[in-house]
Amino acid sequence: MKANPPKTALKFLRWFCREDYLEEIEGDLIELYEDYYQWSPRKASWKFTWSVIRYFRPTFIKPFNRYPSNNIAMFRHNFLLSFRSFKRYRNAFFINLIGLSSALACVLLIYLWVNDELHVDKFHEKDHRLFQVMEHLQYDEVIRTTKETSGPMAEAIMEEMPEVAYAAAVAPPHWPGFDGFILSVGEKNVEATGQYVGKDYFNIFSYDLIHGSADQVLTHKNAIVISEALAIKLFNTTEGIMGKEIVFQHEQPFLVSGVFKSVPINSSTQFDFVMSFELYKDIKFWVDDWGSLGPHVYVVLKAGTDVSLFNEKFAGLIKRRFPESIRSPFLKRYSDNYLFSAYENGVLVGGRIEYVRLFSIVAGFILLIACVNFMSLSTAQASRRSKEIGIKKVVGSRRKDLILQYLSESVLMAFFSMIMAFMLVALFLPQFSEIVEKQLSLTYDHALLFSALVITLFTGLAAGSYPAFYLSGLKPVSTLKGKLNAGSNAGWIRKGLVVFQFTISVILMVSVWVVYRQITFVQEQNIGYNKDNIIFFDVEGNIMDNMETFLTEVRRLPGVVNASGTGHRMIGHNWSVSGIQWEGRAPDDMTRFEVAAVNYDLIETLGIEIKEGRSFSKEFSAESAKIIFNEASIKAMQLQEPIGRIVNFMGEKEIIGIVKDFHFESLHEKVKPFCFILAPGSENKIMVKIEAGREKEALDGLRDFYESYNAGFAFDYQFLDESYQAFYAAEQRVATLSKYFAGIAILISCLGLFGLATFTAERRLKEISIRKILGAGESGIVRLLSRDFTGMVLVAIAIATPLSYFIATTWLENFAYRIDLKWWYFIGVASLTLLIAWLTVGLQTLKAARISPTECLKNE
Amino acid sequence: MKHSLGEFEELVLLIVGAWRDRAYGVLILKTLEEKVEKKVNISAVHVILKRLENKGFVKSRFGSPASNRGGRRKKFYVITAFGKKLLDHQYALRDNIYRQIPEISFG
Repeated sequence: MKANPPKTALKFLRWFCREDYLEEIEGDLIELYEDYYQWSPRKASWKFTWSVIRYFRPTFIKPFNRYPSNNIAMFRHNFLLSFRSFKRYRNAFFINLIGLSSALACVLLIYLWVNDELHVDKFHEKDHRLFQVMEHLQYDEVIRTTKETSGPMAEAIMEEMPEVAYAAAVAPPHWPGFDGFILSVGEKNVEATGQYVGKDYFNIFSYDLIHGSADQVLTHKNAIVISEALAIKLFNTTEGIMGKEIVFQHEQPFLVSGVFKSVPINSSTQFDFVMSFELYKDIKFWVDDWGSLGPHVYVVLKAGTDVSLFNEKFAGLIKRRFPESIRSPFLKRYSDNYLFSAYENGVLVGGRIEYVRLFSIVAGFILLIACVNFMSLSTAQASRRSKEIGIKKVVGSRRKDLILQYLSESVLMAFFSMIMAFMLVALFLPQFSEIVEKQLSLTYDHALLFSALVITLFTGLAAGSYPAFYLSGLKPVSTLKGKLNAGSNAGWIRKGLVVFQFTISVILMVSVWVVYRQITFVQEQNIGYNKDNIIFFDVEGNIMDNMETFLTEVRRLPGVVNASGTGHRMIGHNWSVSGIQWEGRAPDDMTRFEVAAVNYDLIETLGIEIKEGRSFSKEFSAESAKIIFNEASIKAMQLQEPIGRIVNFMGEKEIIGIVKDFHFESLHEKVKPFCFILAPGSENKIMVKIEAGREKEALDGLRDFYESYNAGFAFDYQFLDESYQAFYAAEQRVATLSKYFAGIAILISCLGLFGLATFTAERRLKEISIRKILGAGESGIVRLLSRDFTGMVLVAIAIATPLSYFIATTWLENFAYRIDLKWWYFIGVASLTLLIAWLTVGLQTLKAARISPTECLKNE
Repeated sequence: MKHSLGEFEELVLLIVGAWRDRAYGVLILKTLEEKVEKKVNISAVHVILKRLENKGFVKSRFGSPASNRGGRRKKFYVITAFGKKLLDHQYALRDNIYRQIPEISFG
């Protein structure tokens, strides 16, 4: 007969039962079990388990706490001891407090930022069903991925894909000029950001309507839906304005069909009003064309739709219409697009999330450095507290109690630091918000308090763990005898900790320096033309109709060097085509050319150099049938002797000139093919070159002239070089932030070093005194004391240099044009670190070296 | 005598006494079930045994390992002189009082 009683019940019994009773009880239970088993195995098991449960009563439960003690009293005692030791070793206390609280403040700030980043665009009610149409463009060598698609996509998707509940095409508010529309009510003009959206826009996104219903607001082409804030600006109220008239750009009247709550700040799309996309199709025919990329399309899927299955079907939507197309669309969660936006060859590689990760890691390291301070200082003080530990152990305290005591001490420390950190955060939050360009606030909600509590506990435990286990492990006999044998081992670990701190500090410092150099390099890089002193503004109102007169007048103003109009902002990607035909073009060539439709003199205004041939000129006729390429285009087209050749792009065009390559995108990218065509009247920007030194005069003159010529519109200009820098906003931000964080890291490391130096100097006072009596000089003693620390910092530098070289190289690979890493970057940072370390230690050692030996030795 | 026994305690003590030195948990349980027709859990028997042992009415010793108990030894209980005295005392007392019941016929 093979009968096994239930294992779990038996385990449970063994866990709780007194050992002296266990054998008897177990034996009896098994005997009974085997008895019953013959009748019914199931019942036997059940009975066995039930009996075990019945044994769970005080008579049989073993004593778990063998030392019954008064926990509350012990706790109070521990706190008292902690306070006393804080008071007694004030130096170490303040070093820990400053270090930990500044580290925790960094962590909190980064937590606030990360939390904010993670919540961007997540507020939409249908978030989990809200998608954006993206497209992979399959070129010969690479796949490009874009958020841009074609206007008709919205309708096509509604027709062909039954899983879609809503779809809307959008001309988004970041398009050129959309941020500066003029809306007027009576005499009042307000500048506002707008977008053109499909009629189901408010069914897709949760921008709550105060007036109007989501189905109705955009049914008419003359409808305008405005934000609460804009309504107050225009009408001073949000009530009773439905159906009222707003004049758009001083031209066309629109009727208010709805009012929505102002867009939350954690939305990645910011706008003040929307109008109908149907209307925009009438103005710009190209947005209703499958051949051009531009509009965004958003969809809401019906509940329960599987996106990957949907995408399989969806990928062929364009190819079914145009078999030769290289475009395959796919859906992507709208709220994911903010953090995960970077694609490389059709594969998602990251985006802003990289910065989120980067700073989380930096925060972690800073906290670690501060914890390390705590550890190394506590173990260094072990000798001071070893007597206390010895006595406690002799009196009968267990190791567990001692561990608890030191852990509670470090948690208490972390708690104080957290309070300080909150004060620091409250103090520095405005500055931090400005750097990260967010409106962060300290709202004491559950999530924040809970996170703060978790971080505090974690910090306390992390910082206290090593000292707690180390100190509690000391042997009472040797500590009371005054011998501290464990010291050599702890010394090694302490050295390791310092090396670790400085390694991280050095890496951070090198990174900051490299980022700074690269950004300076990028900003000072000759981009191919002189971008200084060029302003640009939108073509609006009267200017649109009388461009020529306007430009002629502007050129005459004092301080203006030249002026022209362009359809391309000369910054970033605006409009590109792949349909240009030339002699010898491979049939499947899909080279994209960025196209700038410009007026006469644009090339001259910007100062772009002509390499061959000539620029557009009024002295020649039929200039609109001419074209100018950059060097990169000629290379891509593989043309020999290009001047005079004919290409086909919106009709036959003759190549009349070649300009030198200039950067119109950020230096992350290589210069791409670019061409100029002459198309007066189609410009949307005016560029004006101003004489250096006469900026104020020229700008005042321009403003007066603009306002008289274009009444009702604001003269809202930007400097080209400033806009160009916006390319590097992310890098700038990283540079600024990492500068501060590196500063804090080195500060905290030095605090730790300072603490250790003070401590060592104190410990060796007698040695120093005797050395002095025997004739050692001050410099000799300083050297003796700093030797150890120098060694540690040198080791840290040796470890950090290759690591930081690797990190810097990886980061620089993001740029097509980048600085070379010079050896002196590393030497510079290394010497700086060493210098800072010496200064920190030197002060203490000098003090120690100056003591009078008699003072110190007279007690013996 | 200041000690007194509950009904169940008394029963267990009697059984231990009756089995001489062969009484152990399971045997006591079975005897209870057969003779007294009482349904009890083994844990209840152990509780009483421990109590009796603590009071000094029984003492125990381990037997040799038995195969039907998964190799565990039995623990045998024996009534002590003190326990026997208690029983004697208790029965003498009861007997004495019982005898005083008049011989009345309840016809």
